[in-house]
Amino acid sequence: MIPVLELRNGTKEYRGVPAVKDVTFTLYRGEVHALLGENGAGKSTLTKMLAGVIEPTAGEIWIEGKKTELKSPSDALIRGIAMVYQETSLVPSLTVAQNLYLTDKKWFHRLRGIYIAGQQFLQSLNFHVDPTALVSSLGAGQKQMVEIARAVHHNAKIIIFDEPTATLTPEEKRQFFSLIERLRARGVSIIFISHALEEALQISDRITVMRDGRHVVTDYTSAFDREKIVRAMVGRSLSNELYGSHKDRKIRPAGEKVLSVQNLSMQNVVRNTSFSLFEGQITGVFGLIGSGRTEAAKIVAGVLKRDFFHGGEIRLKGRSVRYRVPRSAVRDGIIYVTEDRKVEGFFETMTIAENIHLGALAGGKTQFFFVNMKEMRMIAEKWIGTLNIRAINGDAKVIELSGGNQQKVVIAKALVQRPKLIIFDEPTRGVDVGAIAEIHHLINRLADEGIAIMMISSYLPEVLQLSDRILVCRQGRIVEEFEGHKVDEETIMYAAVH
Amino acid sequence: MIGAIVRSLDTLLGRGEAAATVPPLDGALRPNRKLDEARRLSLPGVDCLAVVRGRLFASAGNAVFRLEEEQSWRLATEYRAEVACIAAVGDGLAVALANGDIVIDGGRFHRFESRVARGTACITAMAASDEALYVANGSATNSAADWQRDLLERNASGSVWRIDLNNGTGVRIADGLAWPAGLAIDASRVVCSEAWKHRLIRIDMSGKASPEVLLADLPGYPGRLSPGSSSWWLAVFAPRNQLVEFVLREPTYRKRMMAEVEKPFWVAPKLRAGRSFYEPLQGGGVKHLGILKPWAPTMSAGLCVRLDVGFQPRLSLHSRADGKSHGVTSVAEYNGHVFAAARGDDVVAVVSLDELGDNQ
Repeated sequence: MIPVLELRNGTKEYRGVPAVKDVTFTLYRGEVHALLGENGAGKSTLTKMLAGVIEPTAGEIWIEGKKTELKSPSDALIRGIAMVYQETSLVPSLTVAQNLYLTDKKWFHRLRGIYIAGQQFLQSLNFHVDPTALVSSLGAGQKQMVEIARAVHHNAKIIIFDEPTATLTPEEKRQFFSLIERLRARGVSIIFISHALEEALQISDRITVMRDGRHVVTDYTSAFDREKIVRAMVGRSLSNELYGSHKDRKIRPAGEKVLSVQNLSMQNVVRNTSFSLFEGQITGVFGLIGSGRTEAAKIVAGVLKRDFFHGGEIRLKGRSVRYRVPRSAVRDGIIYVTEDRKVEGFFETMTIAENIHLGALAGGKTQFFFVNMKEMRMIAEKWIGTLNIRAINGDAKVIELSGGNQQKVVIAKALVQRPKLIIFDEPTRGVDVGAIAEIHHLINRLADEGIAIMMISSYLPEVLQLSDRILVCRQGRIVEEFEGHKVDEETIMYAAVH
Repeated sequence: MIGAIVRSLDTLLGRGEAAATVPPLDGALRPNRKLDEARRLSLPGVDCLAVVRGRLFASAGNAVFRLEEEQSWRLATEYRAEVACIAAVGDGLAVALANGDIVIDGGRFHRFESRVARGTACITAMAASDEALYVANGSATNSAADWQRDLLERNASGSVWRIDLNNGTGVRIADGLAWPAGLAIDASRVVCSEAWKHRLIRIDMSGKASPEVLLADLPGYPGRLSPGSSSWWLAVFAPRNQLVEFVLREPTYRKRMMAEVEKPFWVAPKLRAGRSFYEPLQGGGVKHLGILKPWAPTMSAGLCVRLDVGFQPRLSLHSRADGKSHGVTSVAEYNGHVFAAARGDDVVAVVSLDELGDNQ
């Protein structure tokens, strides 16, 4: 059978440094092909070559048995290759329907016409998105749906999904998987990049694993299990290290109470919620999306404001505090490490050193009134070494880093402020397994050093593996507390939904 | 002036001192049902416990009872007035009566009789060192039975006294306390639970420095303290709740309520949580694992806490809102068990120390 798409000995170099080296990749008609690897393994570079976003330094691209050169994404689109990006490429100031029909070759579109067509099209995909809504008003999950719908709308024969499920709710994921099934039935070929290994095992026909820009293995999905994939991805077994039996763990005893949140309220999102955080303990917070856990954490950190009238009270070491801006919270040693690093975590066009130094400036931890370049480099070098940020040097731009290393920069930015309390919101979202292990080690180390940690996560094995105590959030309230080693996934999930 | 403006603003916005909030029962205070599942010994009117000469004594009404074979209570002594509290003084038992008299039975100071001072007839707790007896007087204006009124009047007229057991003279070592309800002698220093301020303080014996706060912002009203094996036990006699916290910030309402409404119907903390456990849920029921539960941050109506040597909570024993061991007024560790006097239900709950371990 002739592959519908083939990359032969593809190589891509940046300033002489290979991001992808001598990789051969094949995709057949109607196949779902999962592409796995750590952050920085070269998956995105490979798919960008296939989607015409970047040109390979060496190697050939063959489409349906014909050698082809892809000069641009539109070139690829003409040949039936569409890419759905991790960071959505939609125009936020346009409506959903306008985005769907943006690249249609018509000079004029009647708004009413595209709204009706858009409505019908989205319904046919079972996506509940209002076509007249501005994209900027949509949540991350809905934006992803529009992005997918746009690819389907272009009648693509090959669709490349880069981390499509990272921002989707469980229900949306189910819909997405059923859409993949329908596309496969129509003969569409799919390349699927994901860090969720279970998803790859569930929906793909074949799996390719990459490591350090090189091809490691390609085989039918039935030949893989989680352990084998992880071993191929990192070159060693991490499964036990990451999510081994949490019941054998030693629970850290609670230290002094650092934070007491009492009857906190913010509209209908956070409703009369109360909890405490203790020194030297990791408090895991689990809840479904929309349960108010992130919002409660953001109020604590001064990112959001509680209700003006009777909005509750936050006590930091017994002292009542009310932060109107994060700056005051940072000065008091409370740091919030965001779940959305690309938007809130760093300035992507600035260097690693500049980003980390910004953290030091925010925490008032610098010695000089003016920006001291020497001090900035020194701080950056220290944290690059401490957190093992893989970059040529501190002058590398954050945008050039992989997701895991970007997350480490965000964490370095937080730690440079010498916090007493750190709130990690989804610390390993969109991060590869190797970096996950490093981040987990780091969080454990911080707790051992006596820092109070609040860790919000949607991934139950992570919550169970790291937390000394687990709080479950539902409908804006903390509804249950468990000891980390005396609970199982089912009980936590039950508490979160009932 | 600025302070008054800030206070008015706080009252309007419900923040700062005027925030009607209650700390959560979590961490070491995480709810359980240990007091409800425990063996229970009935003793109507039980209030205070003390271990003397290897025997456990309990006060109830105007009598002191002795525990026989860990099974039943036997009358030890009857007194002319209601017993306010009891405490061990070496091998003797100090008994404080509701009229302010203090007597000691047995031991080196047998037949010692004293009265702290004029007007001190609200003795809530006692603790003894070698030569002295420390006495907490809850309020200068209300009796011990009128504790709810004292809270609603927002008094802070309590005091702690040191009585020399050799000559019977009493010296006040602290005053202006908001219902001192428990005392402990820790390395010749006095630790006191100040109920209406929800905290434990260490009193400066010279009386010059302000007290050191050891534990603050408790989710209930702390009562008596007692020593345990390398730890301390704290009885929390009633939980705090938002409604009471709110009423405590409304002086006119409280005044009218106390004047016009019968005491059982006051909005005030109680030793027993209502006739039905659904009563306190009127603010909104919460489901727990699919079952409507008596859950809210403060819904443990019976609570005692094990404190470490630094007086920080390590674990706790609870009776939930629908439980049967409410209003824990005293705790004693005896013979490998924890005895909790639940005055709200007239029982003493018995929990084995082996069951507790280091954690819950």
